[in-house]
Amino acid sequence: MTAAALLSAKNITKTFPGVTALKDVSFSVNAGEIHALCGENGAGKSTLIKLLSGIHPYGSYDGELQVNGKTARFESVADAEAAGIAVIYQELALVPEMTVAENIFLGAEPSRFGLLDWNKIYRETRSLLEMFHLNLEPTATTKHLGMGQRQLIEIIKALRKDSKILILDEPTAALTETEVDTLIVILKKLRERGIGCVYISHKLDEVFAVADRVTVIRDGASVTTKRTKDIDKADVIRHMVGREIKDLFPRRTAKPGPVLLSVENLTVAEEKGGENALEGISFELRAGEVLGFGGLMGSGRTELLMHLFGAWGWRKKGTVEVDGKRVPKMQPDEAINRGMVLVSEDRKRYGLVLPKAVGFNLSLSSLKRLTRNWLIDSPREFHANKKLFDSLHVKAPSLEAVVGGLSGGNQQKVVIGKALMTEPQVVFLDEPTRGIDVGAKVEVYEIINQITAAGKAVVLVSSELPELMGMSDRILMLHEGSIGGEFKRADATQEKLMAAAMGHSPKR
Amino acid sequence: MKTNNLSIHDFSLGIALILISAFFAWQSPVFLSSRNLSMLMIELSITATLALGMLLVILPGHIDLSVGSGVGLTGGIASVLIFQQHWPAALGMLAALAFALVIWFLMGYTIVKERMPAFIITLGGLLIFKGLFWLVIRNSTIPVVEGGSTNLYSLLTTYYLPTSAGWLLGAVCAGLLVVSKVLSVQHRIEYGFEVEDKELLFLKLFLFTQIIFLFVLVMNQFRGIPLPVVILGAVALAVYILTENTPFGRHLYAIGGNPEAAVISGIPVDKVVVGAYCLLGSVVAVTGLMQTAYSGASTTTVGDLMELDAIAACVIGGTSLNGGRGTAVGVLSGALIMACLLNGMTLLAVSPELKFIARGTVLALAVWLDVRLTAAKA
Repeated sequence: MTAAALLSAKNITKTFPGVTALKDVSFSVNAGEIHALCGENGAGKSTLIKLLSGIHPYGSYDGELQVNGKTARFESVADAEAAGIAVIYQELALVPEMTVAENIFLGAEPSRFGLLDWNKIYRETRSLLEMFHLNLEPTATTKHLGMGQRQLIEIIKALRKDSKILILDEPTAALTETEVDTLIVILKKLRERGIGCVYISHKLDEVFAVADRVTVIRDGASVTTKRTKDIDKADVIRHMVGREIKDLFPRRTAKPGPVLLSVENLTVAEEKGGENALEGISFELRAGEVLGFGGLMGSGRTELLMHLFGAWGWRKKGTVEVDGKRVPKMQPDEAINRGMVLVSEDRKRYGLVLPKAVGFNLSLSSLKRLTRNWLIDSPREFHANKKLFDSLHVKAPSLEAVVGGLSGGNQQKVVIGKALMTEPQVVFLDEPTRGIDVGAKVEVYEIINQITAAGKAVVLVSSELPELMGMSDRILMLHEGSIGGEFKRADATQEKLMAAAMGHSPKR
Repeated sequence: MKTNNLSIHDFSLGIALILISAFFAWQSPVFLSSRNLSMLMIELSITATLALGMLLVILPGHIDLSVGSGVGLTGGIASVLIFQQHWPAALGMLAALAFALVIWFLMGYTIVKERMPAFIITLGGLLIFKGLFWLVIRNSTIPVVEGGSTNLYSLLTTYYLPTSAGWLLGAVCAGLLVVSKVLSVQHRIEYGFEVEDKELLFLKLFLFTQIIFLFVLVMNQFRGIPLPVVILGAVALAVYILTENTPFGRHLYAIGGNPEAAVISGIPVDKVVVGAYCLLGSVVAVTGLMQTAYSGASTTTVGDLMELDAIAACVIGGTSLNGGRGTAVGVLSGALIMACLLNGMTLLAVSPELKFIARGTVLALAVWLDVRLTAAKA
């Protein structure tokens, strides 16, 4: 027998009323190992993590958890932390108003004579930051830091507590490529120090770059565990979805029709008198077309969509024409009336009323059409909801299920469903596949095809170049608020797009 | 799928109500007399009407601390116009209503356009309206009507429905309740949603229709159903339909649940919030007229602390002060608990000091219980 794993879950079965979330799942991490956990949304990854971290306490599941070969019975998160397990969640748990040092020592502040020992806090924070080659002041306020830096601070916070096992839940969902590289370097360093790491990610490139082993779970059961040397991406995807995805980007081009949206020399600042955030943007969007927008973080992609939808910014110059009619800066409700709709990149913040039901959210933007004599026509609302619920394959117990309880991919389908119910002509999709799994991604791409096949148009913003190239008919790359280059689908290469995003390509 | 797992949470308000009533009935036999219950119902109607208005601004995550002063002020304006200026009662009351509408529109407009916290604006309103109220009535007592006679204003709380009309109203309400419930269950079955057990549904409907008829019986034993109960019924029905079945109501919940998502979903957030304040303004006027009529005159203390009773009724009834959660039925139950408590303590001649302490304790207890039971359910 080999040495006992640092952390192992044996034959775990966990049921919720009406659902079996995990069926006889086994999973283990050794010291000095990075073990990736892959699976579609709703496959049971989150449930497994909640078990490992003590959120689902001992006794609420069948099977056994072991730490260093000994049975572990976590009654609470504190028990799991005491056993050396630290979870770093997608939604970061840092206090934005506090400094880096305050956050790292939050809840465990060293004190002398009842007063905070600031010397010690700053000294130790500095040495921790140096250890990770982070060029940061301990007194910097956390809210001014980038997502990548915050992620690293979370990791430092966990390691300061002498955690032996790190569980990272989608750590790179909001990171830029350089930040991802830094994270990978640091994880490898931690591996050398004997720390065991569970790495959950939808991004298979990262999984193969960083992990020693990979476990795929599907429908609550562990499907396979392999060394990353012995398996390739296609295999992992096949295991995840249980089927072969032949074409990851199934774009079916539609015949371009009349111009639906025309933007001319648009210059926008965040507020009146502010600096230009967008400058001299011109483009046309035709019916049946998918127009892709790419660019680095902060290049103005999201701002452009939000402005066209009426939710952001002060227009300094330029004209916007919808269906051939010039429109002023308007509010989102007017934009929806004119046939435009936005699916935001941040579905929890801008997309959903999380404590409310799926049906409530689906019909929220379309109530006007579902109302007769001042009252909501409830049979009509039900049928409109049901139609989208079924056609988008939302996996939820019913229309009355609370939307906050659904997986990311299913929440995203609800947001898209809400947008589609307004019967739009132009759909703005901002990072529509962020944080959702491969299977759900393909479903989103199919929805895009359906939209354009119906003679409507899509503006797609994405930071994933393969997605941008795979799904757009034309691609505009933004660079610091201006258009850095325009490409046809056939001409686009990752190198050309990146160069345009960095401002290195010849102007059109 | 059947849902028979009724938890104590669904009954907690009812149980609390029964315990409170049982205690007062035991301590004072007068509590359950038809005369006292009739008074209790008038008091309930006044508190609950205001609380239902308050629900409309709490749902989108706002608050209004000025309603208590507003109650005094609107009642005072009507008293002065009708008693001192000899306006026809209907006209004076309409003027008070129009005044409240304008003022609450302005407050709502300031809150959304200037992005100022509702807490601050309405705290200012609390003080300003109190001052205006005392100016309007010149710190004196102004009756709603000449002694010995009646007018529309005084009849607000002294008119009782004739016995036969009471029975008719009770029958109509019971019929509507049964028909609407059965229709809604039919719809839910058609949609494939969960429905409650048939026997349980029957039991519930039986119980509620019995309560309605018992209520009419008890009221008729005294003078009949008091007019304020009819007003409350109308306001409650309006708020119920507004929150459950109109786009406006959906928008209130959405704004309270996630204001940013509400904007992106195309909800005219500012208009909806101003609308909620306008509706609250008209409810304040109606409450002001009823409360003043019930007191018989405008005096400097009319409306004191009523904003807190209204907020307490909302919270006891399960409304979240963060917005997005709360129902008309819950608010009614909350108001009923508050009204029973106040009425019972008055009967027992509890000192004002203890009354305050008891009200505060019940409020804190109710919220604690709600938090605990909600956590236990999840």
